[in-house]
Amino acid sequence: MTVILELKNVTKAYDAYKVVDEFNFQVKQGELRCLLGPNGAGKTTTIDLITGRQKSTSGNIIFNGRDITGQREDKIARQGVGRKFQVPAVFRELTVRENLQVAFSRNTDPFANMFRMGRKGGLERLRQVIEIVGLQERLGEVGGNLSHGETQWLEIGMVLTQNPKLLLMDEPTAGMTEQETQKTSEIFNRLKGEHTLVVVEHDMAFVREIADIITLMHLGKTLAEGPMGVVEKDPKVREVYLGSEGITDAA
Amino acid sequence: MQRANLYHDKRAQWAVYLVFFGILAIIPLWMGDPFTMNQYARYGVFGMLALSVSLVWGYGGILSLGQGIAFGMAAYGMGATMQMQYQDPVNDPIPSFMLTNELEALPTVWEPFWNTSVGIILAVSIPVLFFIIFGILMFQARIAGAFVAIMTLAMLGAWYSMAYDMQPFTAGFNGISPPSAFVAFGVEVDPYSNMIYWVSLGVLAVLTLGAKALLQTKFGTIVQAIRDDPERARFLGYNVAYYQIVLFALSGLIAAFAGLVWVMITQFVSPTSLDIFFSITFVIWAAVGGRMSLFGAIFGAMFINAAQSYVGDEFQATWLIILGAVFIVVVRFAPKGLAGLFEYALGFVPYRVRETPQSRTDVPSPSE
Repeated sequence: MTVILELKNVTKAYDAYKVVDEFNFQVKQGELRCLLGPNGAGKTTTIDLITGRQKSTSGNIIFNGRDITGQREDKIARQGVGRKFQVPAVFRELTVRENLQVAFSRNTDPFANMFRMGRKGGLERLRQVIEIVGLQERLGEVGGNLSHGETQWLEIGMVLTQNPKLLLMDEPTAGMTEQETQKTSEIFNRLKGEHTLVVVEHDMAFVREIADIITLMHLGKTLAEGPMGVVEKDPKVREVYLGSEGITDAA
Repeated sequence: MQRANLYHDKRAQWAVYLVFFGILAIIPLWMGDPFTMNQYARYGVFGMLALSVSLVWGYGGILSLGQGIAFGMAAYGMGATMQMQYQDPVNDPIPSFMLTNELEALPTVWEPFWNTSVGIILAVSIPVLFFIIFGILMFQARIAGAFVAIMTLAMLGAWYSMAYDMQPFTAGFNGISPPSAFVAFGVEVDPYSNMIYWVSLGVLAVLTLGAKALLQTKFGTIVQAIRDDPERARFLGYNVAYYQIVLFALSGLIAAFAGLVWVMITQFVSPTSLDIFFSITFVIWAAVGGRMSLFGAIFGAMFINAAQSYVGDEFQATWLIILGAVFIVVVRFAPKGLAGLFEYALGFVPYRVRETPQSRTDVPSPSE
């Protein structure tokens, strides 16, 4: 399988403090990778660096064979990187349907879009995405009226509508109830294989449900990488998670 | 059955717009009084200004207090055009205010205004060009919210001072009063006639329906998405600054047309057209009427100005206080303005979303 995303010695430093420190990271096409780590490990910063929200201090980020280091967010997004935010971000005054229409962003030129009616574009995609994330009953509702879980699904749906080669999900189950988390893991298991995903997550039960390989970050570096069973037995990992309990209980 | 409210029915909206402009168009048939027509033509201009604020602020989330810049620039362009229509190239080539300011030749910047078409094109395109440049400076730097308000206000102040200080070119505080009415294609647009009213209303109608149609395209939806969450839109691949610049320039275009028509109506342009308070009142009109509704904003502008005209003299001195109080009440209790109250009221009217073949088939139902 080909490598779709590669971070080479990526560093993000604020003065002397390195949030991400010579970080190396590879994701293969079609993989679902979980990015774990205690608070302050640099997970969200890593996502920010990949998507261009923050600029790295040094190192290179290669996506789909091209160096995207330091490019503008929308340019990176147009090359096929989708992102779900930690705090769910949807367009609150627009309906669910309009949210998804905006997310169908194959053509992003303002003048071209003046001659396009939102409705027709991406109908087929809308149908597929709604089938994955649900929300059939909520299409006419404005984004601001959705429950927390629905908002998370809508944002996942928007990122899917964008049809990116790589999906970066920052804590997709944050604040969800158990049933909602269950449904979300079903969604993710359906996406596996078809899409390449990097998921930042704290919920270990959820990670166990979905992950093939996990990468454990600590102080901006990789502490351990491999299948769940291997990583949780790693003595270095146990040390980071305060003694002998291991990551399972610490989460 | 979602968000089932007649207010959101696009056909009903278009019908309301057409009926509204239809009724306004026939007003002169029973109210032919020239002074009233001049007054109502002014309301048309206020409607354009509120429209421009609604587009940029209500839909784009860009709180510009500087729409007066485009209005004033276009007003000066139109003032110059009308002044030069009056001047004679051979016998009387220099406007009298320039002579009193000891200019011996017509300034080069005034030369193009000898030609009416060129003058009109400049009066509209220069403000738009300025809005593009100003927009690039602000939005590329991702300036938003209150900072946009402050920058646009400061820029307006700068243009006001410039108009005030460049007396030989602008007649300073006195302003330019073209002695004769505007003539287009050999027809005189008498500022006290039914024609001026129809010109003003016609421009307002075209701009409004154009803006309404634009907002129903995907561009319109994206612009509103950017208003709600620019960051989210950016990560979907949209160049947010580009969209904001285009929208800002379009709002400038509308305000420029307002300036153009204003000088046809008043035959006068002075730094007051760039007055800071005047520009802020556009925002109040739009807020009271409902900034997230083009119709609401236009109605707000007309309603407030008509109210001011008809409340009687005893209220004129305290009008600003009344207006301020109304603004505060609206912002606090009805953030969507009169249009929002109307939307709320329509929520009680039974209404079914039309079942079109498309709305039935575009999404699989849960049972499938």
